Amino acid sequence: MLDSTTPPTIEACGLTKRFGDFTAVDALDLRVESGTVVSLLGPNGAGKTTTVRMLGTLTRPDAGWARVAGHDVVREADRVRRAISLTGQFAALDKNLTARENIILMARLRGRTVRAARVVADELIERFQVGEFRDRLVKNLSGGERRRVDLAASLIDRPQLLVLDEPTAGLDPRSRQVVWSTIRELVADGVTLLLTTQYLEEADALADRIVLIDHGREIAAGTPAQLKAQVGEQRVDVVAADGAEFERLTATLAPRFAITALRDQRTVQVAAPDELADLARVLAAVEDGHIQVDEIALRRPTLDDAFLALTGKPIEGDPDYEPQEVAA
Amino acid sequence: MSVSATTIPDPGFGGPIRFVRDTALLTARSLRAIPRVPERLLDVTIQPIIFVLLFLYVFGSAIHVPGINYKDYLFPGIIGQSLAFNAIGAGVATANDITEGVIDRFRSMPVNRLSIITAQVMGQFCEALLGMVIVVVFGLILGWTPHLTLVHATLLGGLMVLGTFAFVWAGVLFGMLVRSPDAMQGVGFIVVFPLSFMAGTFVPISGMAAIPRAIADWDPISALVASVRGLTEGFRSTGSLQLDHPEIAMALWCVAIIAICVPLALRRFNRTLAG
Repeated sequence: MLDSTTPPTIEACGLTKRFGDFTAVDALDLRVESGTVVSLLGPNGAGKTTTVRMLGTLTRPDAGWARVAGHDVVREADRVRRAISLTGQFAALDKNLTARENIILMARLRGRTVRAARVVADELIERFQVGEFRDRLVKNLSGGERRRVDLAASLIDRPQLLVLDEPTAGLDPRSRQVVWSTIRELVADGVTLLLTTQYLEEADALADRIVLIDHGREIAAGTPAQLKAQVGEQRVDVVAADGAEFERLTATLAPRFAITALRDQRTVQVAAPDELADLARVLAAVEDGHIQVDEIALRRPTLDDAFLALTGKPIEGDPDYEPQEVAA
Repeated sequence: MSVSATTIPDPGFGGPIRFVRDTALLTARSLRAIPRVPERLLDVTIQPIIFVLLFLYVFGSAIHVPGINYKDYLFPGIIGQSLAFNAIGAGVATANDITEGVIDRFRSMPVNRLSIITAQVMGQFCEALLGMVIVVVFGLILGWTPHLTLVHATLLGGLMVLGTFAFVWAGVLFGMLVRSPDAMQGVGFIVVFPLSFMAGTFVPISGMAAIPRAIADWDPISALVASVRGLTEGFRSTGSLQLDHPEIAMALWCVAIIAICVPLALRRFNRTLAG
């Protein structure tokens, strides 16, 4: 087919899924252009996984439609399955097979011969640095190691769309960094990616476009820069050693920065539009004044802040959510 | 614009060749788990072995069944009970696969949908047969002496395969319905456990109180136990129409279980599980 414009990889309109009285996804529209990375950002229960499952042909929509790689997810589910690679929230591997056996099995199920499956598995093992644990059973691997095997298994046939559902959920910060760098390499390769996450930081680090959802609806969408502009800037939090130091701290910082003083917490919040440069200035001011402080930290806006800024109310009942912060 | 999501059949078939290929690959996957998770095989072998030891050497001295040596009475019961327990094993394994998300991964791949569930059943079926072989060999070692003619052996083998198939399908269905391995264990304990004890497994049905006796008379596992006992020992049970003709009753039960469970399991797999 000769077409001057590439159709979007995902096009969804009015996508809706109900479970009894509960509407998990509520008339969601979504568009992901080929070669871009879009992040669905939202708290637990926002409808991210249900959306991903509908796009991945695992769940049928109650209303609306979606086309993935030009194919309807209900009527042409088999074609969609050929075009995509979906990685669920928890590494979906056979625990009783080794890392390598899992990748070989997935390659065989995608139509490879035994020999071709071994070749592609060994290539992926090399590329995703699975080598040192390739012959260990998946049940004995750490979360980060499983994720890498999972990603490797997702890229047997170069998919037109890669869907990653919370790829760093439950990972320690170091494993998260490894997964991020792997995802960045894929993106540099031109893979179209739909990524769900609870972390604004993660969406910011990886996505070209963020769609913020809650209660199955889109709340806001835009580039990370646009969204962050709406959410508010970063700030430096300085915690004084005691009450007297808090007074000196406030007196020192107030003339030079835009601050909010929180007396109960002995904390001064300093607006930091220039991020690290502002952090350095605050540090210098504290040092020059010889003020005793317990902590100085650059805080990024979290999903909590984003919700507060965009909806005017905090996230409801989300026990798993932990604010992300970057210590100076 | 709307999508009539439930009226369009899932097109995930892809021809008989792909069905056979995918089923073989996925069955091989299930079978690989046997040596790696030996405790699963132990579930279906240790329990019958413990029961044999308990009933043969602990309770057995107090049980007298007229017309038959207790050892010969007991082993057919154990075989019937083990076969029924396969439903629990298959259910737990299925619930495990579902909760671990690996089934979802297969479903999101260009894999024949029917082959995913067929392989699940095939894998469990092979595991069940292996468990049964171990139990029978154990019985023979302890001195159980089945008296089999070629005709009876063929009939028994056929009934055992049919029965294993039926109970494994039932287990796979329940495993998908309850979705958690622990819940499946619970269901198994509440439903299969008492039914398998009442089925004339360890003591004759004729001596039971009225209510358990009424249940046992029509318990499918009773037909199973009575069939094995009839074919191996020539020992006939009586008390109800099905106990008078246990082989026919067992075949009918199996056909009925398969006729009900297979379509329900396929439906559950294709549709409700997707919701």
